[in-house]
Amino acid sequence: MHRYIAQRLLTLVPVLLSISILVFLMIHLVPGDPVQVMLQDYGSAEQAAELRHTLGLDRPLPVQYGIFLWRLVHGDMGRSIRTGRPVAAEIVLRLPYTLRLTAASMAVAIALGLALGTLAAIHHRRFLDYAATMTALAGISLPSFWFGLVLILIFSYYLRWFPPAGADTPGSLILPAVTLGAGAASIIARLCRSSLLEVLRQEFIRTARAKGAGELRVLYRHGLRNALIPLLSIVGLQFAGLLGGAVIVELVFGWPGLGRLAVDAILNRDIPVIQGVVLVAAAIFVGVNLCVDLLYALVDPRIRYV
Amino acid sequence: MPRPIEEDVTVLRMRLACLLVLVLALAAAAPGVGAPVRGGTLNLVTDSDPPSLDPHKTPSGSFIHALLYDELVTADKSTGDFVADLADAWTISQNGLVITFKLHPGVKFHDGTPFNAQSVRATIERLIDPQTGAPGASWIGPIDRVETPDDLTARFVFKQPYAPIFSSLRIVFLGMLSPAAIAKLGPNYGQNPVGAGPYKFRQWIPGDRIVLDRDPDYAWAPKFYKNRGAPYVDSVVTRIIPDESTRVIAFQRGDLDILPAAPADQAPQLIASGKYQVIRTPTDGGLYLGLNVTKPIFSDVRVRQALGWAINRDEVVDYALNKLAVPMDSPLAPTIWGYAKGLKNAYHYDPDRARQLLAEAGWKPGPGGVLQKDGQPLAFSVWTYALETNVRIAVVIQTELQKVGVRMSIEQMDPAALLARTASGAQDALLISYGWPDADILYYFFNSGRMSSTNRVHFANPEVDRLLDAGRTTVDPAQRMAVYRQLQELLLQQAPWIPLASPYTITLAQPWVHDFYEDKYGDLLTNDTYIQK
Repeated sequence: MHRYIAQRLLTLVPVLLSISILVFLMIHLVPGDPVQVMLQDYGSAEQAAELRHTLGLDRPLPVQYGIFLWRLVHGDMGRSIRTGRPVAAEIVLRLPYTLRLTAASMAVAIALGLALGTLAAIHHRRFLDYAATMTALAGISLPSFWFGLVLILIFSYYLRWFPPAGADTPGSLILPAVTLGAGAASIIARLCRSSLLEVLRQEFIRTARAKGAGELRVLYRHGLRNALIPLLSIVGLQFAGLLGGAVIVELVFGWPGLGRLAVDAILNRDIPVIQGVVLVAAAIFVGVNLCVDLLYALVDPRIRYV
Repeated sequence: MPRPIEEDVTVLRMRLACLLVLVLALAAAAPGVGAPVRGGTLNLVTDSDPPSLDPHKTPSGSFIHALLYDELVTADKSTGDFVADLADAWTISQNGLVITFKLHPGVKFHDGTPFNAQSVRATIERLIDPQTGAPGASWIGPIDRVETPDDLTARFVFKQPYAPIFSSLRIVFLGMLSPAAIAKLGPNYGQNPVGAGPYKFRQWIPGDRIVLDRDPDYAWAPKFYKNRGAPYVDSVVTRIIPDESTRVIAFQRGDLDILPAAPADQAPQLIASGKYQVIRTPTDGGLYLGLNVTKPIFSDVRVRQALGWAINRDEVVDYALNKLAVPMDSPLAPTIWGYAKGLKNAYHYDPDRARQLLAEAGWKPGPGGVLQKDGQPLAFSVWTYALETNVRIAVVIQTELQKVGVRMSIEQMDPAALLARTASGAQDALLISYGWPDADILYYFFNSGRMSSTNRVHFANPEVDRLLDAGRTTVDPAQRMAVYRQLQELLLQQAPWIPLASPYTITLAQPWVHDFYEDKYGDLLTNDTYIQK
């Protein structure tokens, strides 16, 4: 087990290095000159040259990468071109909001997904199955910017239950969490349904029923418990996926998270911030996947590093 | 027994009198319309965080800066003329090199330190210090030094006369900073801003809100306000909501008191609802069609002029801009200082004249209704931002040019990419916008020395260069105005730009917000504002 963990951790090194190279190259691959954008077009050529020098953009590429990596391992992601504040500080301010949003969305996704999936499985090929499957399909298909606005219109404008934007009251988390969680809920629901259906066909379920166990007991103790194992990896992947979805949802609901920071940075070509956010998001993604792999190895002893 | 009629009348009179007394008493007890009410929170909204609340660290100002900082000079809310703010009066030397400001006595910064000539000097020195790297540093022009003969006199000494200085002085980049706070906060000034404006800073949650509180000691509001003391509202909360529709819903719910810069596509419905106060403010800028004069088809001035006659600006305003704009007849929008009314060379819609000019330039009817010359069709591509408004305008223009035999294709681009690509000169034409408070902006767009940067039409004309220089250095306003009139006539005649339209900013306010104004720079004038629900 220790060997597996060590090997799994070692594979992270090339992954993280590749990410850092890609992120570093970003500044040279995107169209437009960040210096020109920063000076809003009206600066003199000398000002532009000076700024280019300050940002280190006038040095050879490998040197730039070396400096970039050296600073990175020291926790220095540079300063935001737009605000002048350290990128790490900006990210630290925003990350808790995004984590709170993704955690709440995950809770919504799991609760809603399991409920819908179970409902569909136990009413296999009946009206409720079709209704739940259709709802799940809708959840995947609806674009979140549209779904979010519809929720705002109904629950914020007409019913006035929740605020349309902001992060200052507990109620303000609900609409963004539902919007963001809807897609993941649908995927979980579909998987839960098929997994549960498969389990419910197994011999041991028949045995349980034959023993005279109640239908609820059969469902929860024997069915759902076993059906949940394959869902574990999906939940992990979905969690990472929610980080990406958060960008749109944070924009719609004015949620002050990492996604907003990323969009503001992209619109302003604030390259150091974009680099920082991408790095952090990629690290979280890699980290969550690692956790899922390790959990899997714990849950299922057959899984080993080959 | 029925009472006599006289008695009835007397009773009626007494009752009426009592009623009248009651009404008057009630009216006196309740705050009447027009009597400002103290207290409450003014809820505003904006689409993104300002980069910094330090005026020397931001490339663009916002209304939040304007609430925090006062400048030496400001613009009158109705006329737009430069009027006293932190400077009570000023004189300009004969040679235009020295401006002497008499400062308002008794002004204090939010940190309690006094505002005086030394703070003016410290502010300007920090602004122009290359170490500061202030994006707005060039606004001060070729300043040499600030002299402080006494506490309440600050003297700006310039290396050369710099006529646009007054347009600059009211801009937030030249907001006055507290030297004590500069020393204490250093690079963190923007997170804990200290100004001498009507509101002081309380809190900034990035991406969520900025909270300002009224400065109870504020007593130096410009003369155009009815209330020259501290603002009536206790605090101003600016929510940061990037999505247009969410902003509108938050406003419709009443979460917001004011919706600055209402989204252009939703403004007409909000106005039509009749529920809100509508503040239409012409912006200090506009949209234009810039023609790269080095391209063969645009090297002939007659072709450029023909485009000027062929475009119906009223249609651009009506169809592409929802009537929320005014047609522009000069490269300068009507609200920009230096705009000249009644220009002789201004274009209006005259497609016949356009056809005639094109014929004179040797363009003959060709296949598909497109004119041609030497086998080449009269066709070009316009680069524009991938924004709905820009694209709609481009489509209107495309249709109109088609009527006179010109084929225009539209290429949409990301703004930064578009601006970067113009340096190479590959563009035929551009459909973009600009905003600036002073006619000096023409220097950036048409000076032959700025060919690879902001002179995106690659226009070079010695007379234009001469007038642009004269406009910068003629300090006397009347003489300067004459220079710009001549320049605008010449630019219209040479037609490197076809001016299109200057959009309005629509700001909406709830009915319970009273005495709220906005100036043409988008600054919210809130010193008279009070909330009465």
